[in-house]
Amino acid sequence: MHDDLTAALDKIEAGAVLEDRDWQALTGGRDLIALGMAADTARRRRHADRTTFVQVVSVSVSAPVPADPIGGDAGEVRLAGRPATAEAAVAAVRTLADRAPGVPVTGFAYGDLDALCGHDPVRLGDLLVDLREAGLAQVASLAADALVDPEPVVGVLRGSGSAVSSLTFGEAVGSDVWRLMQRVKSWDGIGGICRALAPLPSAEPSPPTTGYSDLRQVALARLLVDNIDSIQVDWSRHGPKLAQVALTFGADDVDAVPAVASHDQGWRRSPREEIRRNITAAGFRPVPRNGRFEAVEP
Amino acid sequence: MTIASIAARVRDGRRIDGRDALRLYTGAPTALLGRLADTIRARKHPSGVVSYIIDRNVNYTNVCVARCAFCAFYRPVGSGDGYVLGFDELFRKIDETRAVGGGQLLLQGGHNPDLPLPWYEDLFAAVKSRYPDFRLHALSPPEILHLSRLSQEPVPVVVRRLVRAGLDSVPGGGAEILVDRVRRELNCYSKATADEWLSVMRVVHEAGLRSTATMMYGSVDTPAERVEHLCRLRDLQDETGGFTAFITWSYQPANTALSGVEATGIDYLRTLALSRIVLDNFDNLQASWVTQGGKVGQLSLAFGANDMGSVMIEENVVRAAGAEYCMDEAEIVRNIEDAGYVAKRRNMTYDLLGDPLFRRRAIPRRTTLAVARPAGDTSLPAELSRYPARSRPGREQRSAPDPRPA
Ligand code: SF4
Repeated sequence: MHDDLTAALDKIEAGAVLEDRDWQALTGGRDLIALGMAADTARRRRHADRTTFVQVVSVSVSAPVPADPIGGDAGEVRLAGRPATAEAAVAAVRTLADRAPGVPVTGFAYGDLDALCGHDPVRLGDLLVDLREAGLAQVASLAADALVDPEPVVGVLRGSGSAVSSLTFGEAVGSDVWRLMQRVKSWDGIGGICRALAPLPSAEPSPPTTGYSDLRQVALARLLVDNIDSIQVDWSRHGPKLAQVALTFGADDVDAVPAVASHDQGWRRSPREEIRRNITAAGFRPVPRNGRFEAVEP
Repeated sequence: MTIASIAARVRDGRRIDGRDALRLYTGAPTALLGRLADTIRARKHPSGVVSYIIDRNVNYTNVCVARCAFCAFYRPVGSGDGYVLGFDELFRKIDETRAVGGGQLLLQGGHNPDLPLPWYEDLFAAVKSRYPDFRLHALSPPEILHLSRLSQEPVPVVVRRLVRAGLDSVPGGGAEILVDRVRRELNCYSKATADEWLSVMRVVHEAGLRSTATMMYGSVDTPAERVEHLCRLRDLQDETGGFTAFITWSYQPANTALSGVEATGIDYLRTLALSRIVLDNFDNLQASWVTQGGKVGQLSLAFGANDMGSVMIEENVVRAAGAEYCMDEAEIVRNIEDAGYVAKRRNMTYDLLGDPLFRRRAIPRRTTLAVARPAGDTSLPAELSRYPARSRPGREQRSAPDPRPA
């Protein structure tokens, strides 16, 4: 292993401040596997060989009626899109909770709800309570890149008894991500309201990220952000192959596994069998979870 | 031996046998396999160069009598979708390839009973007379065997005639898994048994040609059979030294008779790493981005690959089985450099030709790979009438009046 990389990994282990030279070694070197091994050790310390996954039915907030009946494999029904009004958001949650009894309903980006409330923390707190009472299990995402001060956010979420499924870095790439990781690491209380960190960009930038940059990002997220429990990859967005390899680089949770098989290439294997096969082939133990991060293994 | 002692043996640069290879493959953590493969790659390629080739992957016909169960590309004799490319079409493809800096065609196709050996000889000779420096990396061992059977000439004679016409080197396609149990199940035993594939390669190497070797895993094969395949290649390489490179990819199941599911990304990286470890007498291992996608393709560089393969320009076979990825020269170079390596162009024998071409001259970006022919174009090239067809549909087609306007 390259000396600079060893030194940087030792500093992370000791909780020391990283300097430019360390960042260069961590983000620019050829020795990707050494970084992955360090992240894998950190991940196994926390989760051993357990890898959770959630099968999601995605429903548009503007038409909150699932196209198909929600099947037995669904662990979460997620409202996608930005609601037009606070009332529409609550109504959509209520409709969906009625149609999917027993399956946690999640949805919305925290920033969208905040904007709907005119960035007024009191109104936002009330809306979050209304959403929770209508049946919202978790807010789907919170974008770290748009967050200047996390304290009021943590306060509003805590005060309303709400939680967020995934902290994201939005569309940030490259050095912006490394800066964000260091900021998130310093945020007190974020781990109590946010169960998982999704470190890869929510939309593919142009030019697209590379396999090396994605895996470095996943590995460094696990090594640096020790105040959030899970590092998450998105099965649908990043594709089964990259998502699977990311499990050996520090990720321990797979989001957005389809709940229903796609028939575009003919039916081959159910998504549950496919995700189990991939997790097992990566050397981990698959554990299905629901939208509240509760294991749902029968 | 324990995994640790096998790993130590690999680190020391000593050969491991098939039993130990299987133990590593089935028991070693993925990161360990990757580290061992990367150690060997670094030893064989200490300069940190990762190479690639600008060439075009052309399939001259999709008509095939072999009917391999894993193939989504072929059409049976007489099919309305069957095609044969004409000499002029191939010349156009060569012109396009040269325009983006390419110097070679990778030319493979189905076992078409209506294309006799002289058709290949005339094609190769015509290419060489128009483009004397252009290289023909053509005809995998099963195609050569098919021509031997069709022409009733022994393989060495067929190879000699093809070389005389202009054949430069031979691609390692059609190997699948070099174990006859697997080949019988895949219905590719009759196109070439494991021994036949290897003996054609031996003839090719003895004729002074270089070739590549391949392995398609993940269909009906077991880990032990993959290891056996690698060991058989290693044995032949010990004997002839004729292989320039090895390429492995996973079986692509969509639209095939065999169907099934594709091996995972981790399976690919583990198989690639094991190949680097077992094939200690091969200098070069290519990444298969065309089956794994650009991201896992790039990760191959951490698991033993030292070459990003071809920019391809055109691809028909993998696309037919459901995978459709594209990387042009600029994208391949971006991925190589992002992984911390130096990108260099090469030829088939892995001589380095220079720095990326797109930095020296404007080359239009490409986001999709071309196809052999536009969909639905099954027109018959004019020169085909000069060659006798063996099949009844082929004979009928060639004697029918040309429907095209004069
Ligand atoms: S793999 Fe080649 S030989 Fe087999 S059916 Fe397809 S085209 Fe024919």
